[in-house]
Amino acid sequence: MAGGGIGIEYSFRALPRMLPGLILCMVFGWAALQWDATTHGWSVDYKEAERLLSIAGKEGGAFAPFADYTAKSKESFALKEAEYKTKIDEHKAALGALQAGQAKPKEPKKPAKPHLLKESEYNDLAQSKEMPGKFSFGNKIIQFQLTYVAMLLLVGMLIRNTVGVAEVFKAGTIAARPIIKPGIIILGGYYLWSDLLKVGAIGLGLVVTFVLGTQILISYWGRRSKVDEGLAGVMAAGVGVCGVSAAVAVAPVVNAKPRDFFYAIGTILLFGTLALFTFPYIGQALNMSQPVFGAWAGTAILNTAQLVAAASWYGHEALLTANVINIVRVGFIPLIVLWTIYFYVVQPAIAAGGEAQKVNVWQVVREKFPIFILGFFIIVTMNEYGMFVQSERDILGKELLKLFFAIGFAGVGLNIAFDDLKKAGGTAFVIGVVAATLKAVLSAVAVMAIGAEVFAIK
Amino acid sequence: MPSEFEKKAQDTFSAERKEDVFVLILAAIAVVLVKLGVIGPSFVKSLFF
Repeated sequence: MAGGGIGIEYSFRALPRMLPGLILCMVFGWAALQWDATTHGWSVDYKEAERLLSIAGKEGGAFAPFADYTAKSKESFALKEAEYKTKIDEHKAALGALQAGQAKPKEPKKPAKPHLLKESEYNDLAQSKEMPGKFSFGNKIIQFQLTYVAMLLLVGMLIRNTVGVAEVFKAGTIAARPIIKPGIIILGGYYLWSDLLKVGAIGLGLVVTFVLGTQILISYWGRRSKVDEGLAGVMAAGVGVCGVSAAVAVAPVVNAKPRDFFYAIGTILLFGTLALFTFPYIGQALNMSQPVFGAWAGTAILNTAQLVAAASWYGHEALLTANVINIVRVGFIPLIVLWTIYFYVVQPAIAAGGEAQKVNVWQVVREKFPIFILGFFIIVTMNEYGMFVQSERDILGKELLKLFFAIGFAGVGLNIAFDDLKKAGGTAFVIGVVAATLKAVLSAVAVMAIGAEVFAIK
Repeated sequence: MPSEFEKKAQDTFSAERKEDVFVLILAAIAVVLVKLGVIGPSFVKSLFF
């Protein structure tokens, strides 16, 4: 799914229909981000409390008065700040003396402000000498990665499949899903073209090998197994590249019947949903670094919303890498349509001794190219020319990005309906799931063999 | 006469184009507001308790 706007069109005329659902997603997204901020705060408090308890343990259980505790932290931070200022001056001098062809010296990292417990919490800890329950809870939540992403997807799915989503909200929750895309665009502030080309080149290799490979495999396997061409065609495009959008794009080419289409969509959604909820834990179990996980999710998960959600779930660095691979992948939609035209229309015509149908390649590319990725390239270029300072990059690529993602993921969670997943079935389902699993396993092996260094966005 | 899916595909891609334009505008507004300093480092934090 490049976008996911199936069934709803952005226009002022449709706004009244979309508004209730959009507001619902905003409120739901806000609640999840509030949950994230609270549990994250408790988790940081947990680490500080753990440090204090350990110091107190060594010093016979005595806690310093709160005033001493804050003064000591401020003193230590002031020392780190002074060291940073010296280092940043040295860095600037080195940049000034830099000659053409030399590598840029690395910018020193600004020291983070120390996290201090609130006075009441510090005093409670000093008195009880036991870890407060809410800190332990926050720490467990972070350990199990139950962040805003997980909450929006799990709770959203639960709501959709138990109490349901009222009809008045449905259009808006569908329209909320593409709000992930402005987040993808503004994330561009974290990239330089050199990173993009480095990871993009490897990403291109992965996309050609695994994404196009899957499409070609399903096309031939479907033909050998005598699966209806319409069904095999939409399944190949959907499982190979980009979920629902690619399936819709190729449906007219292969004369898919509505039943074929819904079987394929059911398979795509089922696999994508399973991947979304299992990949972050598989990645952890396999000890995948963030960049490696990002590359894996970008290659193996079938649609933009799901892969962005899984990568965000894993961490910010994973998201940076997954985003590049995804940009390369969705740029391939026109090529997927061209392959389908060749395999299902041109090749059979030639085999039957007929004349090959002429294909207007430029028209296919122009019509099917997802233009939102141009926005991402513009932001990368702005960053390349130094148009963003670090604080602006963080506001765009971390804070506003979370707002956009939260609204979008709320829409994704509230639209995971088990009834849609049940539509998958038949031989084509087996072919689709086997091919998608094969792609996931082989791409995991490939990205782990390639290693984190290649996929890291610096 | 276009088939059901030809029509569906045309409608989908027309809707996705509009959607892409909408998200480009949304991203542009976000960048302009950040560059103008309207959205500063404390903006998002101020939305939460």
